[in-house]
Amino acid sequence: MINCEFDRRRFLQWTGAGMFAAVSAQLSLESLASAASSSPLPASTPILVLVTLYGGNDGLNTVVPFTDPLYQSTRSNIALSSSQLLPITDSLALNSSMPSINTLYGKNKVAIVQGVSYPNPSLSHFSSMAIWQSASLTADLSSGWIGRWLDIHPHSAFNAIGIGSTLPPALVGEKSVASMLDVGGVQLPWGPVASLLPRLGRSSTSDVPLEAAAATSITDLFSTASLLGPLVPKSPKGSLLGQQLSLVSTLINANVPTRVWEVNLSSFDTHTGEQADQNALLAEVDAAIGAFMTSISAGTRSNDVTVMIYSEFGRRVVSNASDGTDHGTSAPVLLIGNTVKGGLYGEQPPLNALDVNGNLEVTTDFRAVYGGLLHDVLGTPVSDVIPSWKTALSVH
Amino acid sequence: MYISGVRPAPSFAQRLVTARLLHRFNFGPTPGQYADLLQRGVEATQATVLERGSADSGLGSVVAPVLADLGPYPEANTPAATAYGNAIHAGNTDLVTWWLDRMVVSHHPLAERMTWFWHGHFATSISGVTYPLAMQKQNNTLRTHALANFKDMARAMVVDGAMNVWLNNNENYIQSPNENLAREFMELMTLGVNKFTQHDVTAAARALTGYTTVQSNGHVIFNAKQHFSKPLNILGTTSKLNAESLASLIVSKDENTKFITDRMWFRFVSDSTRPPASLAGSFADRDISSLVSALVHSSAWSNPANSLVKSPVEWFVGACRALKVRPSTLNPGDTQWQLQQMGQIPLNPPNVGGWPFGQAWLSGVAYQYRFHLAQSIVTTADLAPLSVPKSKMVQACADWLGVPEWSRRTASTLAAATATPSELALAALLSPEYMVSA
Repeated sequence: MINCEFDRRRFLQWTGAGMFAAVSAQLSLESLASAASSSPLPASTPILVLVTLYGGNDGLNTVVPFTDPLYQSTRSNIALSSSQLLPITDSLALNSSMPSINTLYGKNKVAIVQGVSYPNPSLSHFSSMAIWQSASLTADLSSGWIGRWLDIHPHSAFNAIGIGSTLPPALVGEKSVASMLDVGGVQLPWGPVASLLPRLGRSSTSDVPLEAAAATSITDLFSTASLLGPLVPKSPKGSLLGQQLSLVSTLINANVPTRVWEVNLSSFDTHTGEQADQNALLAEVDAAIGAFMTSISAGTRSNDVTVMIYSEFGRRVVSNASDGTDHGTSAPVLLIGNTVKGGLYGEQPPLNALDVNGNLEVTTDFRAVYGGLLHDVLGTPVSDVIPSWKTALSVH
Repeated sequence: MYISGVRPAPSFAQRLVTARLLHRFNFGPTPGQYADLLQRGVEATQATVLERGSADSGLGSVVAPVLADLGPYPEANTPAATAYGNAIHAGNTDLVTWWLDRMVVSHHPLAERMTWFWHGHFATSISGVTYPLAMQKQNNTLRTHALANFKDMARAMVVDGAMNVWLNNNENYIQSPNENLAREFMELMTLGVNKFTQHDVTAAARALTGYTTVQSNGHVIFNAKQHFSKPLNILGTTSKLNAESLASLIVSKDENTKFITDRMWFRFVSDSTRPPASLAGSFADRDISSLVSALVHSSAWSNPANSLVKSPVEWFVGACRALKVRPSTLNPGDTQWQLQQMGQIPLNPPNVGGWPFGQAWLSGVAYQYRFHLAQSIVTTADLAPLSVPKSKMVQACADWLGVPEWSRRTASTLAAATATPSELALAALLSPEYMVSA
């Protein structure tokens, strides 16, 4: 059953990839002036890279309390065996699908914040992801936390960039939104009207807010194309996440003036056949992060970059009969960088003290993690972005 | 000079309301329709967008793909496996093309528009279902119930094969329930978040045991021996339940009227304003057509705040309707790849929560692919509505596409694009005023 599901998924990926290759051959980058040198990010400016894992990554099979007898007994059909573990302490081990992150941990470049969620965690993907991305527990803020950080800076298409074509809520502010960039490259419109289209990106006093946003997106295409277009590799290679992080490291090393990047990977909602699927996904994350850190460490931004890897929730402690897990609560957040003070932060939620639904307790509020990143990386008072929140967990 | 019978020009308010009704409920006007309805008035527009017709003569020429049951997956790395994969891929492409064609050529597009809404509401992705035949069955079920009774629809969807595969009900056992279908059915499809407890989820999952779907054809088999047959306490009621009676119980709750009313408002009227409390009353009997009619006759349409971004498919279909281009006459692989790059390809929503909305669609990257699509549409379009003197082309373009008013920015840009009708049409489709239903 597990193998069958896995094969089918791979198979679909293959057919999708075939379609991509056939059409993308038509896409070619315009010859554009490289402008990264005209407004480079000042030396030593810290940079944040958000890695969003959609679907709810199982924290207990990522950072594993392997010596707790309850770990094996509560999830015997998906528990990792000793050969699938890379111990980092007497009681915790990394999933062996993450050898690169294990190596970085050994060099004190990985901070593992344990038991992260928020009070009364929602078991809904969508509510929980909205809470993480807005940094608001009551959904009274429609803007994203990075969007509000953008709002307190003069608008530029480059302050924050997401990889993909649809904007994640975290990057949408009240006044300003991040730009998006596709791994397939930037191609400007061509033909007789191409020279007119930038005029459609100007603001107009009669615009309703959404028309103004549409106009801004037109301007952002032309400005990102001229600055970033020449830097985007024409034929991206590697996994879904690998392509995204490869593009980000290329652009960071080219000194583009961007403080926040967002990449993401889906399919962590492992209700069935979890071990094979999650191990493959974590291996994808690990290989992409390993290559990214190698690339960054070889460039001039080696000490500037901090990566945060997070998901909307962890999963149920007790596994289900379909070799998977249902929705859960807290899970570890990983912070990675050459200036990160590696090690364990917060407390591992115990397996013998679960909440009424059989889920892990919350020992760290995610807003404290954001607080530390806002203060240490983005240089912004926490309460300017998360109203009336003060706590900051620093890993720098 | 007095000319009898000439009416005053329609007000901006009437242009706005007429355009909104056509774009939101009918995928946008066909050539001449907007100007015609501006003359006939808002009541006539409301009646027009609600028109059903016993048979839609526009659809007669769209032939549904015949999809075979491909059976079990052949041995890997064989020619049979390659052919099997190609059949899945081709079936998927054909099914999407067929649906896009229906949206474009329908004379009474409300039924297709509602099917499109319900597809996002009961969001099921072929990425998890794999087989286009199962997706086609679900699509037909959505169409059957699109304007009928929501209770019947919920009862049909909870035992829909594609839905059951997508949300892991094939792996939901008495000894150890898989909660995926139970939770998402209540949270995203019928009641809304926080309207039920974890206890309700666990119990509802038990009511959904005993159903097995043949993935290759979407056929659902009920096996009573594998069904949890004891009474279950769900949402305060204790009774023996199967999937259909569970759906009836859930839909009977008051929260269901508010939830569905809110979801319809969100997708048709505004993602930033709230519906009036009275609107839910029109859904008291769970009659979808009553709710749609109440929305169409709502006073919301003259409120300037109720603007929406057209999703990529809505923008594409609207352009094809106005420019008389059948999607199947374009290169389907290219078209679907561009839509995918913009973030929206039918049958493949990003997750069970359905499509993004609003500003999420407005990225520079999406604009890059929007240009490709607009270019391909314009290349084969019927541009006759722009065969007017140059000085009238820009206004004729607004009347053709159903745009209430060009901004000064756009009007001056379009005036510079009047060298040929195709240049003007291309720039107009790529204007902020056409990307958004203001």
